[in-house]
Amino acid sequence: MTLAAKSLGGRLSRPPSCHLRQLYHQVEHAIAALAKGMAIAGGSVLLVLTALTCISIFGRAFVPFNIGIGPIRGIYDITEIGTAAAVFAFLPWAQYQEAHARVDLFQNLIPDKAEHVLDLLFHIAMSLVATVGTWRLYLGMLDKRSHGETTLIAEIPVWQGFAIGLIGASGFVIVAVFCVLRALRRLVGADA
Amino acid sequence: MTNIELALWSFPILLVLVFLRAPIALAMIGVGVTGTYLVVDTTMMTLNQLKTLTFGTFSNYSFSIIPLFLLMGQFATLSGMSSSLFRAAESFFGHRKGGVAMSTIGACAGFGAICGSSLATAATMGQVALPEMRRYGYPDSLSTGTLAAGGTLGILIPPSVILVIYAIVAEQNIAKLFVAALIPGILAALGYMLAISIWMRVNPHSASINPRVPWRERFVILSKVWPVVAIFVAVVGGIYGGIFTPTEAAAVGAAGTFFIALASGTMTWKRLIQAILSTAASTAMIFFIILGAGIYNNFLSLTQLPFVATAWVGGQEFSPWLVLAIVLLMYLLFGCVMDSLSMVLLTVPIIFPIMAGLDFGMSNDDFGLWFGILVLIVVEVGLITPPVGLNLFIINSMAGATTPITTTYKGALPFVMTDIVRVMILTSFPAITLWLVWVTDA
Repeated sequence: MTLAAKSLGGRLSRPPSCHLRQLYHQVEHAIAALAKGMAIAGGSVLLVLTALTCISIFGRAFVPFNIGIGPIRGIYDITEIGTAAAVFAFLPWAQYQEAHARVDLFQNLIPDKAEHVLDLLFHIAMSLVATVGTWRLYLGMLDKRSHGETTLIAEIPVWQGFAIGLIGASGFVIVAVFCVLRALRRLVGADA
Repeated sequence: MTNIELALWSFPILLVLVFLRAPIALAMIGVGVTGTYLVVDTTMMTLNQLKTLTFGTFSNYSFSIIPLFLLMGQFATLSGMSSSLFRAAESFFGHRKGGVAMSTIGACAGFGAICGSSLATAATMGQVALPEMRRYGYPDSLSTGTLAAGGTLGILIPPSVILVIYAIVAEQNIAKLFVAALIPGILAALGYMLAISIWMRVNPHSASINPRVPWRERFVILSKVWPVVAIFVAVVGGIYGGIFTPTEAAAVGAAGTFFIALASGTMTWKRLIQAILSTAASTAMIFFIILGAGIYNNFLSLTQLPFVATAWVGGQEFSPWLVLAIVLLMYLLFGCVMDSLSMVLLTVPIIFPIMAGLDFGMSNDDFGLWFGILVLIVVEVGLITPPVGLNLFIINSMAGATTPITTTYKGALPFVMTDIVRVMILTSFPAITLWLVWVTDA
């Protein structure tokens, strides 16, 4: 079959649900890539923090010799903002992987259907928490910007830290909403 | 409903949600936010708190140690040190009855010195030691039990993620806690070896024994684990000597294990990315729990429950030792079903002030260290007890379908018993835990 005929024939013969399924898998693919990409970006921030911290310690060792080499100025501020940025960027991946700690003690006692319903409810709650949290983080950023608050030593504007955090937090909202859809599909038994 | 009643009702509600398989952090956030609303009767307070609480929690300098320690543990699993440690331990113990299992414990203890997580230790050592124990004809129950128990040395021997969390929540000195954990950690390893030795005497079987390795050769093999020693000394010694902040020490440890992994040639791009993704999932999970526990504990503080409970227990003239025994027993039982980290974050803010208010005949600082080590051990036991022992699951899945989970449960039992004996000894003789702190502090 030629490529044109295949696409034409395929399109005509497939029921509409098939297109939806295909669309869902494309979305899932994109979400996975987003979550993974953010996690790797956050991990890179951690690696950079590790390196900067080591350089700073190394520099501090030269302080007694007074030759103009010292620790990185404001390394603690940088660590704080970097860690926050990384943690926010890790949230989408943890949500996508459903890595959040839970207790499976009664898993076998809960009927499958009930478990799927509960799972759906918890995912809805999670996306609500993610959305409200991100909205408040945004307002917090506006507050910090209007106050012009900076970190103590490095004098980094605090709102910029919030802004970087917002990237990960927004990813968290997107992935959490997707997870509601995924839980819904599990409930109705799609892909089973 | 009074505020105290509200606080008391929140526990069963939280537990029901958790047992219905709600993510623990989500349940804490939900109950905490709802409770706060019921106490203050306005949504504004929680909403305003959320503007800065999340960023404030994630950017707290004390907490920045956690992702770095997790990263260090991930690199340690790639460093190839697990097999060097196993070879070294085998040269010392291999010629004894049960020697290969004892070597596994020894290697786990060594690995615990550069890895602060129990699951990572169990999984990494499992890859090296499980095939070896099978090759020497050890029964599956003993080999999987040994590895599950050995894995707990990852958190019992400093550095330890749980100890870091305890230090932050109970406002204790991390460096001193690490030093205090050292002797109990070594006792744990010795206790596990003793359990193996007794097992071998009670159930004789065909496990073969290695020839004795001459001392000179033992030290040659041992010298290959120098990077582990170097990193452990740099990290724990560096914090204790006041050279590094704990976060800096974790960064040094992460960099050190990274370079060992790089030098060993096992580090590929794919593995590096796996290590990062694994760190990402654990870090996000832990910080989300920290956030949830923070919101929930803020609600409890609003109701004055911690204050009332401390005053009530203090006024009852209970025997402090009885209260301690009940608290430890409670941790032990809950640890069997709950995630240990959530349990520490959730309960220590309430339990610690109550316990610190009782008179155990020691200074407040000493009490904080001693109690922390006891809590660490009892929550860790939950990792190797049914029904929800994560270490048991991970080792059992590595052992394959031929080993039913009940076999692993059975294999872990002798080790659990040594854990309980150890807790009793350390409770009765606080000096065992505190001695090293006193000596090094002077």
